Amino acid sequence: MSYEPKIVGFLCNWCSYTGADLAGTSRIQYPANVRIIRVMCSARIDPTFVMDALAQGADGVLICGCHPGDCHYSEGNYKAMRRFPLLKNLLKSYGIEDDRVRQAWVSASEGQRFADIVGDMTERVRALGPSRVHSTLLADQRER
Amino acid sequence: MDELKIGVYVCNCGTNIAHIVNAEGVKEAAAALPDVVIARSYRYMCSNPGQEMIVKDIQELGLNRVVVAACSPRMHERTFRNACKTGGLNPYLFEMANIREQCSWVHADKLAATEKAKALTHGAVNRVRHHEPLDSLTAEMCPSTLVLGGGIAGMTAALELAMAGHPVYLVEKADHLGGNLARVDSTAPYLDSARDLLTERITHLRENPDISIMLNSQLKSLSGFIGNFSATIETNGGPNPPERKVIPVGNVVVATGYKEFDASRITHYGYGKLPDVITSFEFEQMMRAGRIQTKSGKPPQYVAIIHCVGSRNQEFHGYCSRVCCMTALKYANEIKSALPDSYVSDVYIDMHAFGKGCEDFYKKSSEIKTLFLMYGKNESPVIRKAGPNDDCGMLIEVDEKLSGERIEIPADLVILMVGMEARPDAGEVARLVNISADKDGWFIESHPKLDPVATTTDGIYIAGTCAAPKDIPDSVAQARAAAGRILAKIAKGKIEIDGVFAEINEDRCSGCRMCNELCPYSAIEFYADKKRSHVIPAACKACGACVAACPSGAIKGRHFTDQQIYAQIEGVLA
Amino acid sequence: MTEKKKLQIALYWGAACGGCDVAVLDTNEFILDIAAAADIRLWPIAVDGKYKDVEALEDGELDLTLFDGAVRNSENEHIAKLLRRKSKVMVAFGSCAHMGGIPGLANLTTREEILTTAYLTNASIEPGNRTVPCTETQVDGLKLTIPSFYKRAYRLSDIVDVDYFVPGCPPAPDQVKNVVLAVVKGALPPRKSVIGASERAVCDDCKRTKQEKKTKHFLRPYEIIQDPERCLMEQGILCLGSATRSGCGVRCPDSNQGCRGCYGPAPGVADQGAKFLSALASIIDSKDPAEIEGILSRLPDFVGYAYRFGLPASKLQRSHRS
Repeated sequence: MSYEPKIVGFLCNWCSYTGADLAGTSRIQYPANVRIIRVMCSARIDPTFVMDALAQGADGVLICGCHPGDCHYSEGNYKAMRRFPLLKNLLKSYGIEDDRVRQAWVSASEGQRFADIVGDMTERVRALGPSRVHSTLLADQRER
Repeated sequence: MDELKIGVYVCNCGTNIAHIVNAEGVKEAAAALPDVVIARSYRYMCSNPGQEMIVKDIQELGLNRVVVAACSPRMHERTFRNACKTGGLNPYLFEMANIREQCSWVHADKLAATEKAKALTHGAVNRVRHHEPLDSLTAEMCPSTLVLGGGIAGMTAALELAMAGHPVYLVEKADHLGGNLARVDSTAPYLDSARDLLTERITHLRENPDISIMLNSQLKSLSGFIGNFSATIETNGGPNPPERKVIPVGNVVVATGYKEFDASRITHYGYGKLPDVITSFEFEQMMRAGRIQTKSGKPPQYVAIIHCVGSRNQEFHGYCSRVCCMTALKYANEIKSALPDSYVSDVYIDMHAFGKGCEDFYKKSSEIKTLFLMYGKNESPVIRKAGPNDDCGMLIEVDEKLSGERIEIPADLVILMVGMEARPDAGEVARLVNISADKDGWFIESHPKLDPVATTTDGIYIAGTCAAPKDIPDSVAQARAAAGRILAKIAKGKIEIDGVFAEINEDRCSGCRMCNELCPYSAIEFYADKKRSHVIPAACKACGACVAACPSGAIKGRHFTDQQIYAQIEGVLA
Repeated sequence: MTEKKKLQIALYWGAACGGCDVAVLDTNEFILDIAAAADIRLWPIAVDGKYKDVEALEDGELDLTLFDGAVRNSENEHIAKLLRRKSKVMVAFGSCAHMGGIPGLANLTTREEILTTAYLTNASIEPGNRTVPCTETQVDGLKLTIPSFYKRAYRLSDIVDVDYFVPGCPPAPDQVKNVVLAVVKGALPPRKSVIGASERAVCDDCKRTKQEKKTKHFLRPYEIIQDPERCLMEQGILCLGSATRSGCGVRCPDSNQGCRGCYGPAPGVADQGAKFLSALASIIDSKDPAEIEGILSRLPDFVGYAYRFGLPASKLQRSHRS
């Protein structure tokens, strides 16, 4: 039985969320697997959110911000840019597959790009199968 | 916390949402969530009846949280927040779920789209539980303004503000007013006297008691926030030691202007080596002196004017400097007028004659027998000394595009139309007032189309060429626009600071200072005596960088708290 | 006239090193006050109490249990649950009980890998004699059992309901004293609180000067001659202090070593390592992806550093490798 990946997306208000809205107004179709959470800037994204999403059952996490240099708040996306490689390093130590967590830059005019990223990520996460993080943590409570 | 009473409204948006998402189903799912006391599905929530439904439910059912699942919050968050306000509920106790732009419009699978809509609504309901009522703060608006730069833009802004009766501090680095315009003789396309223009401005300035003109002065530091800045100005006057003055101002207009491109950087133009290759500004001096002549003192028979020196060039600056084309034509006209028997060659890439009267000016310049020669971008002409048998001082080799031939133009005098570039101290100015500059050093406006004189830092405005190359009319327009914006703020008397900002809990802050450097708005100050950091609410733009980075979780991002986001994550995954 | 009843206390160690028990002894003369004020019913390292004596107690007869060490095997769990039943107040004492501690790092591997390494692949003086322990065996017709080794390490609060948490590896002796006195006086904060520690991060108590933070490099402590007066992070030396609760007396930075994070996250922080990651990465002074990568490559074992004491307490708790 195939599963439908559940992907949590953190999008910054000014660029990527607007880009996702543009995909909507342009009626560009993409898979329904991403559930978007809006933040004002990708700098707000605490790595803990990503880990929490995985622990709560997300099969994948997508982080989107403005292209470097274009951040509405001047430098917020650079903070996101610096945190991400270290987060990936940590996730690798935790055994989380690389394709499950992704960071992408999407501008307000890139509706198609957003749709393409979602489509690509959904397929990659689908190929990995469901994340076992949530079920493992539940099982840990029952069986030692 | 008081008992929660959440109202959920699922918009059908006509058929925009309803034709894919089962709105009734989303409503039912929401109704089943804890603390949801009412869930409704309606055709157009943003319509008057839709909004009135929310108002009525707040008043009659005592709702203290509202969720609307509809279009993007970028469309109607404000609408529904106002509806809440009308109903007597704090507008921040409201959340939206985007089930149109990010759901019904992008998914064809009805089942999947409906499941997603339910999840997004669940996320919004979970999040809104943790919303807190937020109020805007008010602060005083100091009516004084600091204008940086005494050129045409700066002077115009200062006059506009002072004529409305408000104090202005006009700070100019040099020992005179006028900026680059003071180095110019006449202006294109109407050939008005720049001197008359300036004299008029300066006279009015000096006569106005509300304007403090500070020459030989520079801004040394700026602290505070809109309506409440404190500026430290240093004046370096002659033999006396430098003097510092601290002035309170409400707003700042940055009108620091430009500097011209250094023509010696293009070695094959021979500037600095060939004595009769001069820049546009040097030609202005000649016109002022009333004598157009070569270094040897003779009037030139052949004059060549070369456009785009340092502009539209991959090696130096890719942008167009806007004013040079018309200024070049101005020179052609002046030269032909002073020396009717001379030959004037205008060597250009494109003729940018976009402004009022400019096409006519171009036509007129052609009628007076200016010779127009076109060269290709990145294929610039080469100037060399002429031989003893040539009847001119220099020869210019050009791959001429109109004729398609490689030609040699005679020239006794060559005028290089040097482009505009950002001043070397632009970066320092930007840092001082907390605005950004682009890769070319021009200051960045809040929005290139809709907000060209404001910046992302409230209270700091930009006008004139410091923001990008432009001509006098545009500089004056921007200066007046900036002044107008400031006058509107002063007229209000107080400023309203959005209730959404970051807050540092003093009981949790350890004084580690990880946050201070992170803020692009310098909104986080450190109290050395208390060893705690503190966010200035008015300066904070709520980006959340410090909230995420604080290693002890001592900074709370109002309306985007960790608790709210965790709850939303849980909801969308349910 | 009834004699004032002595406090009934127990101290127990799960997957532990003994350091927390030594910390109690390190209270020096105060231990005599404890001995005078309390009956120690169980303390394997120091006194002679037996499990059956604890089983014989009434439920709630113990006023206080200090449980140190993580829960790694069935015995740890069994005694934890036993002591919980028998105690009014159960305290997770020390990093291991609080957050999993050093044993928690084993959650990055699996039980199978651990047993294989320890009993099969490690060098042995008896090659060929490779036995992996199992929980049951027969000896002379009698069944012998040993506790089962769990698939991962757990915090005490994963196993039983814990009343208070005393952080530290080990908790500072002064803090041990404070905790015991608080229990004696009945002056305890709300349940589930962290006690014997500050409400702020280590930086609050650290005497080093702090300026604005940004860095272009990370260094190992031996790579430079440190300025003892200046914040270690500003010198490029990793210090978890900004992300760690204070109360320990800042012993490590005062000894020119970066804080190791043993007192756990500051109040309200859900995941100490993730928060530290966020702070650390945010202050990197670069906008170039390649340069950033180079700077970060100087952190060879970030998970081991950021979660040295708190891996089981993190959001992901353990490795999820298939």
